[in-house]
Amino acid sequence: MNSEALDGINVVDVSGTVGTGYCSKVFADYGAQVVNLETESGFATRRLGPHIPGVSEPENSAMHAFLSTNKKSVVATDLSSDVAKRVLQEADLILDDGSDWDGCNQSTDAIRSSITWYGKGGPYSDFVGSDMEIFALNGMLRGIGHIDGPPIIPTGYQAQIIGGASAFIGSMAQVFGKELGNSLEPVHVETSIYESCLCFTDVGIVGAYSSGIVAPRMGINRFPPTYPLGVFPCKDGWIGVTVLTPSQWHAFCKLLEMDDLSQLELFQSAIGRLQGIDIIEPRMREKLLTFSAEDIFYRSQKARVPLARVPTMEELFDVDQFVERNAFSLAHSQHYEINVPSVPFRLFRTPPKFGGVVAHLGAHTKDYA
Amino acid sequence: MTAATPLKGIRIIDLSMGWAGPLACRHMADMGADVIKVESCERFDWWRSWEATQEWIESNGAEKSTAFNTVNRNKRDITLDLEHPEGRSLLLELVKTANIVVENYSGSVLPKLDLSFEIFRQAKPDIILLSMPAFGSTGPWANFRAYGSTVEQSSGLPHLNGSENDPPTMQHVALGDAVGGLTGAAAILVALRHQSRTGEGQFVDLSQVEGLFPMASHGILEYAATGNSPKRAGSRFGNSLVRGVYACKGEDQWVAIECSSADHWSALADEIGQPLSEFGEYQIAKHRIDEIDSVLSDSFRDKDAKEVMRQLQGIGIPAAATLSTVDILNDPHLAKRGFWQFQERAFVGLQPHPSPPYRVGKEPFSIVSAAPTLGEHNQEILKTVLGIEDEEITRLESLGVIGNRPRLPSK
Repeated sequence: MNSEALDGINVVDVSGTVGTGYCSKVFADYGAQVVNLETESGFATRRLGPHIPGVSEPENSAMHAFLSTNKKSVVATDLSSDVAKRVLQEADLILDDGSDWDGCNQSTDAIRSSITWYGKGGPYSDFVGSDMEIFALNGMLRGIGHIDGPPIIPTGYQAQIIGGASAFIGSMAQVFGKELGNSLEPVHVETSIYESCLCFTDVGIVGAYSSGIVAPRMGINRFPPTYPLGVFPCKDGWIGVTVLTPSQWHAFCKLLEMDDLSQLELFQSAIGRLQGIDIIEPRMREKLLTFSAEDIFYRSQKARVPLARVPTMEELFDVDQFVERNAFSLAHSQHYEINVPSVPFRLFRTPPKFGGVVAHLGAHTKDYA
Repeated sequence: MTAATPLKGIRIIDLSMGWAGPLACRHMADMGADVIKVESCERFDWWRSWEATQEWIESNGAEKSTAFNTVNRNKRDITLDLEHPEGRSLLLELVKTANIVVENYSGSVLPKLDLSFEIFRQAKPDIILLSMPAFGSTGPWANFRAYGSTVEQSSGLPHLNGSENDPPTMQHVALGDAVGGLTGAAAILVALRHQSRTGEGQFVDLSQVEGLFPMASHGILEYAATGNSPKRAGSRFGNSLVRGVYACKGEDQWVAIECSSADHWSALADEIGQPLSEFGEYQIAKHRIDEIDSVLSDSFRDKDAKEVMRQLQGIGIPAAATLSTVDILNDPHLAKRGFWQFQERAFVGLQPHPSPPYRVGKEPFSIVSAAPTLGEHNQEILKTVLGIEDEEITRLESLGVIGNRPRLPSK
């Protein structure tokens, strides 16, 4: 039996945020039926950049395309309409952003899953919410930028993606638990994007509880306790450096002909090397500039030192590792074809979908009319 | 049986180490799965320390890593020397009782131990094996080494962050790990569901770098759609008129503010007054972003960052103070929601634990037990899971196959 892994699970997204979109995308890519239950103007993700040139709204959002492969689109005037009721009657799981439930909870025993910025309850629950805010409140911003500041905000929709990924775990566990007979009552899963994004900083926060030490911002690409760490120029591009263990330090010094630094007692620990930045960094920078990024990358990996190529957006699509694995695949509609990131994990017996069709607004409404 | 333990009855053999793999399995443990963490006295989880010394061992350093203790709660721990034939054999006996094995060793480790998906499958025909290498299990980089930092670097994401005059800018010391943990948890659940329905196990290949691409999707998609790579523009992103971080009263105190609509802008201009209100309406003001940024840089220097956050949020403007680690422990919102839960842990004392970010009802999932000490559950697991007698357990201890004290690697 080689059906897709999530075959038979019906998911309905009634809100169309990046968070619900990413959560339901994981369901769709692994075989669940996902319906985007949209209003006549379409989900908000249809208006998010980047936009595909030559295509008009509401079909021109590349972000919506990425989030919506292999989903259906049904338009309903509101959640109490007959069309919406037919869609919701099929649902095993209904995803929302915490604001759209009241109209659709009357006649279903589906699991409800809400993805909100701050969760229900608590002093921030009425805050406006944005990706920027989350990275300020989760402590990450404090570490990004020059020592004198200001901190620099990461770009994109990253916090919402993490909220959606977290909500998938909480929601899928309940769907699965229900199938196992572990969870018999209809449940409401609630995911906080703020709490989801504390996954980046919680380990440091717990450490600070024990040590009382608040790590200072140390400058661009410098994060305790690891050193050397960062993105450095090479002859023809950028190389990512991470050297953590003593054996990696010794091999790194050999690669860069810094043998005199290799055995210094202070530099046998990452924290010790962090104290020796002024000695190590000029030597390292000078030497890295003599290599091409590709050359030093392969040399370092052969020496078991985890250096990395740091590809630009353009270069990403040509990296041999990503090409061989089909790490990008085509999302397509009647209006466009566009490369989007493929799935992050592959099941060999029940392969996931790579890319797929993006339904235009209301493409499947007739199926529920 | 309650919604709090939807994964009751599932057993996971957790061979993973560091951050990503153990975090993936912790999500399962938090929801009721029986997660058995397998280490050995010589090959213990490197997150206990990557710089182990005899002095560290003698001071019980292996038990004091807050990082290790944070991602391994709610699990049981057994030590098995997998390089010893009896240790390897006991692992396979454990696999016979499990639904899934999770590993994130570098590519050469399992073959050296004469272990593979096929060998696990011979032990348990419906077993799942999740492998979580940085670059995936296929392709020319399959065996390459990486940490969470390497994963961020390789994803291209640094090219989307920071200022034009700075190098591509990383967000975090190990960004890939936390995301890898989420991706791993998702992979486990998807494969378990198929196993439950069909009785089929399978090999699951997770690439941590590919798991990070969605975080960089805004840049990847811009190139894919237009052929242009986004330029690094500091804190700015999208069409926001204001997106920046501004100094407040006190050392390293800041507030982050965003105005992405005409409503946000008019509310901010009204609140700050002159000279901000002189920049005109949203569409006009968009041509003077640098000047507006300069005005805002001086607008809050004598104000408390958290007070500015509350003031601006009160009129509907996205704003947040840049909290420190200590601030977050004392954050009133998280306190009200019971986010931090406390557990006593041997050698450490009371330690806070972050709750899972998803919950059912008002309360978070309960954290049942702190992270296990090395080999804490050797006796319990060998006796109750494998039915091994006390005498045999004593023999295994004398052979060094199991134990409770770390040892420096002998080779």
